[in-house]
Amino acid sequence: LKKEKDIAIIGIGVTPFGELFDQSYDDLVRDAALQAIGDAGIAMDDIQAGWLSTAFPEIGVYKGRSGMDLAEPLNLYGIPVTRVSNFCASGADAIRNAANALKAGECDVAIALGVEKLRDRSPQDGIVKMMVELTHPFYQKGFTAAGTFAVYANRIMHEYDVTREDIANISVKNHYHGTLNDKAHYRIACSLDQVLDSPMVADPLTVLDSCPTTDGAACVIMVRSEDVDPTRHQPVYLRGIGLSISTGWDLPFFNPRHDFLSFKATQNAAKTAYEQAGITKPMDEIDLVELHDCFSIVELLTYEDLGLCKKGEAKDLITGSATRLGGETPVNVSGGLLSCGHPVGATGVRMVVEVANHLRGNAGERQVKGAKTGLTHNIGGPGAIASVIVLSNEN
Amino acid sequence: MSSIKTYGVYLPQFTIEDNVLHPKGGSKKHTVGYVDEDIITLAYASACNLQSEVDAVLFATSTPIFKGRYHASYLADMMSLKEGILALDLGTTDRSGTDALVLADALVQAGKCQNVLVVASNISYPPIGSELKTPFGHGAVSMIISTEPGLAAITGTASYSSAVAEEFIYKGDKVKYDARFAVGVGFKENIKRVLGTFDSGSIDNLIVNSTYSKFASGTLKKLGFKAEGQLMQDTLAPQIGYLGAAHGLFRLIDMIENRTGNSALLDYANGSNVISLDVRETSNEILGKALQSKAEINSYQDYLTIRKQGKFNRNGYEHATVFSSEMMQEREKEQLIGLKGFECSGCGTIIYMKAARCSHCKEEEFHTRQLATKGKIFTKTSEHYFPASFPPTNMIVVDLDGGGRITVQQTDDMYQNEEASLNIGDKVELTLRMMMENDAKPNYFWKCRPIKN
Repeated sequence: LKKEKDIAIIGIGVTPFGELFDQSYDDLVRDAALQAIGDAGIAMDDIQAGWLSTAFPEIGVYKGRSGMDLAEPLNLYGIPVTRVSNFCASGADAIRNAANALKAGECDVAIALGVEKLRDRSPQDGIVKMMVELTHPFYQKGFTAAGTFAVYANRIMHEYDVTREDIANISVKNHYHGTLNDKAHYRIACSLDQVLDSPMVADPLTVLDSCPTTDGAACVIMVRSEDVDPTRHQPVYLRGIGLSISTGWDLPFFNPRHDFLSFKATQNAAKTAYEQAGITKPMDEIDLVELHDCFSIVELLTYEDLGLCKKGEAKDLITGSATRLGGETPVNVSGGLLSCGHPVGATGVRMVVEVANHLRGNAGERQVKGAKTGLTHNIGGPGAIASVIVLSNEN
Repeated sequence: MSSIKTYGVYLPQFTIEDNVLHPKGGSKKHTVGYVDEDIITLAYASACNLQSEVDAVLFATSTPIFKGRYHASYLADMMSLKEGILALDLGTTDRSGTDALVLADALVQAGKCQNVLVVASNISYPPIGSELKTPFGHGAVSMIISTEPGLAAITGTASYSSAVAEEFIYKGDKVKYDARFAVGVGFKENIKRVLGTFDSGSIDNLIVNSTYSKFASGTLKKLGFKAEGQLMQDTLAPQIGYLGAAHGLFRLIDMIENRTGNSALLDYANGSNVISLDVRETSNEILGKALQSKAEINSYQDYLTIRKQGKFNRNGYEHATVFSSEMMQEREKEQLIGLKGFECSGCGTIIYMKAARCSHCKEEEFHTRQLATKGKIFTKTSEHYFPASFPPTNMIVVDLDGGGRITVQQTDDMYQNEEASLNIGDKVELTLRMMMENDAKPNYFWKCRPIKN
C-alpha cells in the first residue's frame, strides 16, 4: 500500500464550538478558513482545490449541499470544490480526498473544511426530527441516534463484565478534559453520579452520556511534503488514512450475525491506517487519540476496535488512568464530542486540528507532553462508516 | 349446509373500568385499543391465525376508518389472500357483523364459495362526558364460514327488515325517535315477528343481541322463552363493553364455547338477523382465553391520551408528519407486511434486507423464506426523545425463531411496569400495528410485545 507520508498539513483553524446563535454557516466557514490560511501563511488564491464537509445541509438553510457553499463565503472561485458527505466521517473523508488529489497532482495546495450549523433549529428539530420524520417509515423507526448506540451498551453489559459505571466514567473523563479546552461547547466537569442521574436519553445512556447539538467549523490547508517551507510552516504529516464502510444504515439491526459488541468499520479503517503508518503496537506508538465519543459507550467499544487493548479489556482502560491526560495514551484530551459538541461535518477536521496542536506543542493546558504521533477516529451512521487518521510531527 | 369452521377473536390489551371513567361508575369494563391500534390492526389480529384458503372476505364495522376504500380489500391484501377475491364491506349498523355472516352463509349455500372469511371489527368511543351512558368497547372477531364441517353447524339464517329505527344519523345529525313508539313498533314488533317463527321449546339456547334487549323480557315471556337456562345473558359486556358490529358475533362465539344443543342468535339493529346453530361440543376456549389477563388503564388522563392518539409535545418537539410512501408500501408489501426474508443458499443466513450477495459468505443466491412472528430479544433500548403518546419508545432487536433478525418497537407498553418490561433473552411476539399513531395515511408495520406464559 502506498504510504501517506508525503502529505503535510501546513495550516489549521478551528472556530469555537457551541451554540453560536450570532454566527451563520458562512461566518463559520470564513472564521475557520481564514485562521487556517493565515496559519499556513499563504494567500487565498494559492488554494487550487477544495473539499467541503457538511453532513446535514437540510438542517438549517440547505447550506452545504455542494462545494459551492465553501466557495461562496470566501469568494474563492475558479477552482474545483467538492462537497463530501459520509455521515460523521465526512470531515475525515474531506481530508482523505484532498490528500489523494495532492498525491495525484491535481493541485499543489488544497483546503479541507468541515462545517455544520445545527443550531439554527432547536435540537429536537434537527437530527432527531430527521430520524423521526424523514427516514424509512418502518425500518429502525423509533430510534434516535442515541438508541442506535444504546443497544450496544446493553449488549456489552449483558455479554461482558462491563458496568453502567464503566460507561459513565468515559463521560466523567471527557468532561474533565473539556474544562481545559476554551473552544469546547461545555467546559463543565461532571461526577459519576451526575452522569447516572442526568435525564435518560436512550437507556442506559443519559444526557451526559451524549454529545450536544453544536455549531462549529474546522479547516486544514494541505500540501505535498516537498512543498513544506520550514521557515514558515509547522507541518504535521499524514502517515495513514483509512476509511471503511463495513455495514449499512439498516443492516446491523436486521443482520442476525451482528454481535453489537464492536464496529467492524473502525477495525478495517484502523488496519489500513496502521499499515500505511507502520504501526503495530498502537498503545505504545500513539501518544494521543481523538476518537468519536458521540456517546460514551462508543469510546469504550472503540478502545478495542483501535487495538488500544485486547478484546474484553476496554473496561480496564477506563477504570485506570491510561486514557486520561497524563496517562499512557490520553484519549479525547480536547473533551471529545461529549464536551466539544458535534457539528457533524466539522468534527473529523476539528480532531485533526486538535492532534496537530499537540504535535506542534501548542495545546496549552491540555498539551500531551512530548506528543509525536496522534490518531483521529470517526464513526458514522449506526457504526457503518469509520475513518482513522494517523498524524505525526516527523516525516 | 354450512358451518362455522373456525374462528379467532382479538381484544386489546387494555381495559378501563367505569369507576375510572367517572366517580359514579361501577366495576364494568370496556376494552380500549392502544394508541397504535385501529379496526384494521384489530381485524388482522383476529384473522391472521385462521388457516384456510378463503374465496371471499366480508368486513363488517360500524366505525369505518376508510371512506371510498374497502376495508375488506385492504385486509385481504395484508393477509396475502388470493387475487380476484370477493371482498365487501358491510356497515350500516351494529348488525353488520351478523349481516356478513348471513351473506356468507348464503354464498356458501348457493355454491358460490367454499370458505368465506367474515370479519367484524369495531373501535368506538363515547362522546367525552358521556362515558357511562354510552356502551362501548373495542375488539374484532373473524370466522370462516365453510362447506366443510366445523365447530358449529349453521342450521339456518334469516333476516327480517324493519322500517322503524330507534336512533340513527340523518344528514350528519343524530335523530332519536319517540322511545315508546320506536321501541314498541321497531324493536318489540320486529323480534316478535322473528321469534314467532320458532317453536320456543325446540331451542336450547337463545341470545337476543341489541342495545334494546332490556325491553325484550315481556315479549320473550309471551312467546314462551325462559329467562333462566334458555335465554343467555350478556356476560361479555360487563367484561369488555359493547363491541358494536362485532358484539353479535362475539356473543355467538360465547355460545359456541359454553353451550351445546340447538342455539339461536337474534341480532337486532333496525331489523334482525337470526342465526341458528347446532353445537355439539364446547371444547374451544379461544374467547375464554382472550378475556383473560387484561391490563387496566388506571387514570382518566391516560384514557384521554389514548383517545387523542399522538398530539406529541414533549421535550420541545412537536410532531408534524412522517414520511411514508404508498409506492414503497405496495412494492415491498411481501417483505414489510408479509415478513418474507431471504435465506442465503451458501451459509443459510437469513437476512431481512435484500442484498446482491450474502454479507457473511458472499453467496449470490437467495431463496425467499417466511419469517416467524415469534422470537427472542438480542438487545434493546428505550428511546426517551422519540415522540410518542406514552414515552419512552422501547426499541427491541429480535432474533426470530427459525432465523432472521428484525428491529421493532415494543407496543402495549403504556405502563413501563414489570409486566411490560423486556430484557435480553425474553420471548416476544410480533404484532401488526400503526407505525405512527397520528399519521395522515395508513401506515402499518410490525411491533412486538411480551409472550405471556
